[in-house]
Amino acid sequence: MKRPGSIFCGSSDHGLSRRAFLGTGAAATAGTFAADMTQLDAFKNEVVAGELKKQGKKVILLWLAGGASQFETWDPKPGRPTGGPFRAIQTASTGVQISELLPKMSQHMDKTAIIRSLNTRVGDHGGGAALMETGRKKDPGILYPDLGAVVARELGRADSQVPDYVSMYTSTEGRRKGTSGFLGSRYAPMFLAEKPIPENMRRLDTISDVDHQDRAELRSLLSKQFVQGRKSDTLGSHTSAYQRVRGLMASEQLFNIENEPDAVRARYGPRQFAQQCLVARRLVEAGVPFVKVARAWWDSHGQNFETHRELCADLDHAMSTLIDDLDERGLLKDTLIITLAEFGRTPTINASLGRDHFANAWSCSLTGTGIRGGVAYGKTDPDGHNVAEGEVGAGQLFATILEALGVDPEKEIFVGSRPIPLADFGCHAVKDVLI
Amino acid sequence: MRLSSAVLAMAAILAPVVPSRILADDLLPADSAVETVIDHYVDALLSADKVEPAAQVDDLNLLRRLMLDLAGRIPTTVEAKQFRDDQSQTKRQALVDQLLASPDFAFHHRNELDRELLPDNPGDGDFRKYLLWAAQQNRPWNQMFEDMVVGDESDEYQKAGMQFLRTRVGSVDDLTNDTSILFFGVNVSCAQCHDHPLADDWKQDHYFGMQSFFSRTYLTKSKTLAEKFYGDVKFKTTKGVEKQARFMFLNGSVSDEPDRALSDDERKKLDEEVKTLQKDDNAKPRKPDFSPRSELVKLALNEEGASFFARNIANRVWNRLFGQGIVHPPDQLHSGNPASHPQLLKWLARDLRTHDYDLKRLIRGTTLSRAYSRSSRWESDSETPAAYYFALAQPRILTPRQYSISLFIASQNPPHWDQWASKPPEDWAKEREKLEQRTDGWFRMFEPPTANYQVPVDEALLFSNSSQIQDDLLRDSADRLLGHLKGIDDPSEAIDAAFWAIVSRPPTDVEKQSIREYLKSRTEDRSAAMKQVLWALISGPEVRFNY
Repeated sequence: MKRPGSIFCGSSDHGLSRRAFLGTGAAATAGTFAADMTQLDAFKNEVVAGELKKQGKKVILLWLAGGASQFETWDPKPGRPTGGPFRAIQTASTGVQISELLPKMSQHMDKTAIIRSLNTRVGDHGGGAALMETGRKKDPGILYPDLGAVVARELGRADSQVPDYVSMYTSTEGRRKGTSGFLGSRYAPMFLAEKPIPENMRRLDTISDVDHQDRAELRSLLSKQFVQGRKSDTLGSHTSAYQRVRGLMASEQLFNIENEPDAVRARYGPRQFAQQCLVARRLVEAGVPFVKVARAWWDSHGQNFETHRELCADLDHAMSTLIDDLDERGLLKDTLIITLAEFGRTPTINASLGRDHFANAWSCSLTGTGIRGGVAYGKTDPDGHNVAEGEVGAGQLFATILEALGVDPEKEIFVGSRPIPLADFGCHAVKDVLI
Repeated sequence: MRLSSAVLAMAAILAPVVPSRILADDLLPADSAVETVIDHYVDALLSADKVEPAAQVDDLNLLRRLMLDLAGRIPTTVEAKQFRDDQSQTKRQALVDQLLASPDFAFHHRNELDRELLPDNPGDGDFRKYLLWAAQQNRPWNQMFEDMVVGDESDEYQKAGMQFLRTRVGSVDDLTNDTSILFFGVNVSCAQCHDHPLADDWKQDHYFGMQSFFSRTYLTKSKTLAEKFYGDVKFKTTKGVEKQARFMFLNGSVSDEPDRALSDDERKKLDEEVKTLQKDDNAKPRKPDFSPRSELVKLALNEEGASFFARNIANRVWNRLFGQGIVHPPDQLHSGNPASHPQLLKWLARDLRTHDYDLKRLIRGTTLSRAYSRSSRWESDSETPAAYYFALAQPRILTPRQYSISLFIASQNPPHWDQWASKPPEDWAKEREKLEQRTDGWFRMFEPPTANYQVPVDEALLFSNSSQIQDDLLRDSADRLLGHLKGIDDPSEAIDAAFWAIVSRPPTDVEKQSIREYLKSRTEDRSAAMKQVLWALISGPEVRFNY
């Protein structure tokens, strides 16, 4: 029986010089620091950082749960009966105006494309969320995976020592865990709802680290004999799930923003959404391909304008800080930031000064890798009742997102013997927002 | 957009992967034993393709497989040792019969039907009550179908069985598709927008025909399932022609509603009646003269229609026991997706129909076949044969309930289980019920198996770092395995006891050697050392899979 230390090579040289450069990439690099957290510094190592940049694309999805109003964000209609009290402001991209509630974002529109012509039709929270999470309507007999699971599968690594899909959803309103559908629970999100750190990431105090490692090694020894001669993907996935444990435990620190310099933390500020965006940055920096941060609750049936004044300020600050931070670290050119929701909100302002559910003409934004900044694609009519130009459905939006990441939307996954394309059948990317 | 998506999705289905060959024209005689028939047809395909199957499993492996499949749990130490020591030539048959008669079978069969029939509502107490009741009396499958689709709402159990429909009543598409998939093995959803492009069997007429059996179903205020008095399903063909659906079953046979010209006044009155039922807690629905769901049951179970119904359940039971259907996937029973052993499926379906849809009989025969008891190890140098040969067993991941209950059994102090051998079965039934209740709190921690299932890393993290595993399964107390092992001085004996309790077999020499070495390196705290050994065993793949 070997003693601890033998499973994970203690030498950083091996990890860096051999594994990382043999093309195993981010996962191998991550695996290295998994053994020893001082290796996190490896990311400050230029060579390694370069390796990471060359390959892994990543996504940070800012989910505006409940449905943000397009009028108070990306598609203002000042002066119209449906426009509400806020002004539109000029942005860094000439000709594109957004709501005055997003002043900081107005200075980042050169990196951001807006789609103003979403028509997704489904106007209830559950149905709308399911549609916008998976990019297609439900079909009986097939459980479709959500965007995070698809990206985790396409951009993650089988042996990854960091999570490949992390989802943060702190509020209880509209909380949805997300689904990996037919891709299987291997690609299910690591879900953070109650606590800032994923469950079961930390060793219990009742067991020493040596025992924890020893028993894992003993387990692997016994398992090897069982697996011998038994060929099964499911069986293989059991083995690899356990192989990832120690690495994932090491990545716990990625969730702890105390590890960030004070200056960085000050920049993001004290609010939870911004702090979660900082965690998201730490995660993508370490090679996590998909992070979702949900901010609730935009469902402003009453007091739409007060609600948006507050929530937009939060979004504006967090999103613009995230863009700057990623950009300064050279990560923005590999990272796609998306704002999306289950739907937008009605042009008509109701008696409670609210706006209701509306999926026929609404907006989303795309920033970063693969995206042509400064573009506002599509148009709604003057009062925002209908899409006037360039209608985009959920499937096309997903094709666009995948293409921005360098993933072929028509690539097929076999479910049993049925081939299913990554983006819904026959849906093509909106080329105008892509580089 | 919607239309082309569904059409393409279905167009994509199934270029046949299984070569369909009928190796002999006539079915074996109806009075042959089920196991003989299974081996006849499976062996015929093996020898036709010159595939040498894997060896038969040893006694203890067989016991574990049978226990998991028929009792939904692993054997206890005493059960395993008894079976090993039994010298009888017919001990396998005796075990199968004993298990099928045991309280365990009903609980397990209930759990399996539950996860298959109500996958989106795990733990629905009413439905589980119904299924247990039905499983305990081995209620014929055709009667269960009737209970669930046209059950008598005034009967406590049948009402609970109607949860099958009640949980889906919000969506007529779910009612149509899930009933077609689960009871007839047919996914007709493709034909919703278009005649099926590849499988000639399904036309839009079939989809909307099936839908018309459910389109009048609604829920009253008092949560009773009722049917409206009139109402037709209309659909548009791809050529844009509006068509009225007929009450058409999958084989094309049709029920015609007696002609009755309703005046506007009559319609108004009937609408009022339905409205009242939807508003008033105390209103009792009356059964309409023409009940579409009753018509479905008639068409599905008559001489011509029953082949879908019988083949589907035969194939699903087979899939449960082999991890691969004779038609695979099991929701694709159509001419474009042939069976690997068409004659066998036909024979089994006929056998079910002529034996009152007795699922126990089917399960008994299947688990007595040689095809069932092959090793899951492929020791030969030749390439592993495709799954549809059934030349070797597929390691099957345990369901969340099988896994939870097996973990409880493994982690208890082994002598705790000895007492049941001398007690009447009713006592064991009570103990088993308690174990079931414990699993209610545990099974949600594990993901239910799906096609292409992959174990999530969350599960490995749970085993590695949660207090549930550490403080419950591995607790250092007299009622747990660890407490028992502490009382055994000889390490070799303690290792033996751990293996029997957890993996139902003695350790191999290599295993024993490795563990002894580990224990030697960790002498300062023997309890802690043993705890790590138990963890290494209990979290292993041997416990997680039915192999």
